[in-house]
Amino acid sequence: MRTLHYQFPASRNPARRAHVGVVGSGDLEVLVEPGTTDGCGGAAAHAQVRVRTSVEGFDEVWQATLERFFARTPVLGNWELNDAGATPALVTLRMEQAAEATGSGDTPDSEEAS
Amino acid sequence: MTPATNAARDEAARALGAIVGGQSIDWEHVLHRRSFLELDALARAEALVDDGTIRVLSGPFERLESPWLQPQDITPQSDDGVVIARGTIGGTAVVIASIEQEFQGGGIGEVSGAKITQALRLAAASSRQGIPVPAVLLLETGGVRLQEANLGLNAVAEICSALLELRALAPVIGVVAGSVGSFGGVSIATGLCTHVIITPEGRIGLNGAAVIEQEAGAEEFDSSDRSLIWAVVGGEQRRLTGLADTLVVDDAAELRDAVREAVAAGPASPGSHRSERLDVLDARLATLDPANPPEPRQLREMWGDTYGTPPAKPAAPPASSGAEPRPGVVHSRSSMQPSGRGRTWITALASGTTPRPVIGSVLRADTDGTTYLAVVPDPHNPFYRARQGQVGLTECAALARQFREIAVDDAHRAERRAIVAVVDLPSQAYGRIEEMAGLHQAIAAAVDATEAARVAGHPIVALVVGQALSGGFLAHGLQASQILALDDPGVVIHAMHRQAAAHITLRTVAQLDELGKTIPPLSYDIRVWATLGFCDSLLNVGSAESPTHDDVQTVAQAISGAVARARSGPADLSNRLESADARKNRKASRAVRDTLSRQWNKHSGQ
Repeated sequence: MRTLHYQFPASRNPARRAHVGVVGSGDLEVLVEPGTTDGCGGAAAHAQVRVRTSVEGFDEVWQATLERFFARTPVLGNWELNDAGATPALVTLRMEQAAEATGSGDTPDSEEAS
Repeated sequence: MTPATNAARDEAARALGAIVGGQSIDWEHVLHRRSFLELDALARAEALVDDGTIRVLSGPFERLESPWLQPQDITPQSDDGVVIARGTIGGTAVVIASIEQEFQGGGIGEVSGAKITQALRLAAASSRQGIPVPAVLLLETGGVRLQEANLGLNAVAEICSALLELRALAPVIGVVAGSVGSFGGVSIATGLCTHVIITPEGRIGLNGAAVIEQEAGAEEFDSSDRSLIWAVVGGEQRRLTGLADTLVVDDAAELRDAVREAVAAGPASPGSHRSERLDVLDARLATLDPANPPEPRQLREMWGDTYGTPPAKPAAPPASSGAEPRPGVVHSRSSMQPSGRGRTWITALASGTTPRPVIGSVLRADTDGTTYLAVVPDPHNPFYRARQGQVGLTECAALARQFREIAVDDAHRAERRAIVAVVDLPSQAYGRIEEMAGLHQAIAAAVDATEAARVAGHPIVALVVGQALSGGFLAHGLQASQILALDDPGVVIHAMHRQAAAHITLRTVAQLDELGKTIPPLSYDIRVWATLGFCDSLLNVGSAESPTHDDVQTVAQAISGAVARARSGPADLSNRLESADARKNRKASRAVRDTLSRQWNKHSGQ
């Protein structure tokens, strides 16, 4: 297993946390939680991403996949991806589902329901 | 069409979920089916509760993930693959435990197991306070997660105990919708449920076909023969032999209705649960001749589709005249070596009395205030897959009968006698007849009887003198209030034999042993097992194989101590989370317990 950390420029605040997917063969789960500061009290400008993957040797593919995702969907927050060998297409799909479920772009004060 | 073809047509239509009434078949209903099988664990739970009432407890953001997977290079899941949710069904507050079969094949690890146990215990606590909380268990799992071996095995024992605690107060409904099915230790829990709902795609069995084939060869069970597998452990067969209560097609609405009905029915009356019906179990087993076993289909006729009526004595299955006995009867392959330790120790501890065979493979010895029970090898066991000391069908029935009888005998005594399980078990029996007859149900009977004796006040002590493996240990030993083991290299407690575990987890035996050095639940070393939190004492003896007088004295004293502790301790298994070792090595279980308790009564998420 490999743990990878990334950060990407982002601007949209997630309204609520979100969870999608399962760590099943060829799939992954995605957790997103709002994290609106940069750690020094200022507004965050980057999404933080931690990837744990059962497949080694794909660091560059992760980098490229995530970069493309955040370029199109710049949702802030702490992202955790627990992966069991998903393809880049499925990674992107699950992240889009998660981003949608966070209601990013909604008013920040609409509270989560789960 | 002739009536016969009509009947066949109607049956086929029903199998597809159509509503058949008189001459008409409502195919519309088939088109509107919503597959339950295709749903993940959360969606399955959602599909069963009243709309909008679901509340997930200890969800993914609590991050109660397994602490044991990442060190083995396996990606954990944030909820460890079990969804615990509260909600209402037909207006009744329930708790649901739904196993995510895509994660680690639904395997029960420390955290996922603790989640189910604590959910059941909290439901029991609420029920005792006057608000019965039925539980619905969605059971799709291969059983114990081998990457957390001994903690998973213990978790299954705790699930069974908690299930029985709740079952007396509120119904516990097992749902096996497919596609993994309910296997391994969890099949025992299935056998304890108030009501079992299954689909034709669902399966219930103790040992999977692949494991049986690996242990006994393809002539015992050909795991590539899908139709054989379903004929033996499939949902329809289980329903038609009374090992499941409701058979429904794979449709979320039908499953929801079936669960609603089972919830509304309330708890079953004491003594009526399958796992309590030893009369039925004995009578059913009496109809089986392992040398000439029935085909799975014949069993439906022989046993009938309810578990309430014992079948009449054989009706020996129609033997095709002159047929050879099954090859296994004469020479069945097994990797297990018969061990004499069980017999040696029960004889030594019985001091003066000679243990008597309840059946050839189950010994009982009664001394003042204590009864000893051991499963031992019997080369003449008609159930040939249990000749090396494995716990099979008749062993479970015999053990269950002893525990029940002892509890009845002592009902009016001032002090109930202690029961000592002398444990040297190479495993449960791996066989096709065993699966067909429902070994899971037989083990459930033994588990139920042991737990009932413990709750009634009998101090139950397990003394491990040799091997204590897997389903064998679940059946005989793991429900004890106190567990003692000899500190000896020949003493092994584990969820699966080294070779088989290596095979299943795609590792070499050497890799497995190496991992065991840093991951305690994986270790085959008894001294490491003793650090997991449920060992009450590790005993030093000069010889575990041929104990001296002093050795026997040492062990007898340790048993007295354990009996005294059991008498003053809790009647349930909660002490397994309170020991100093548990505080260290079962931190995750304790975190689950605390988080679930905290969230149990909240009215909204946080």
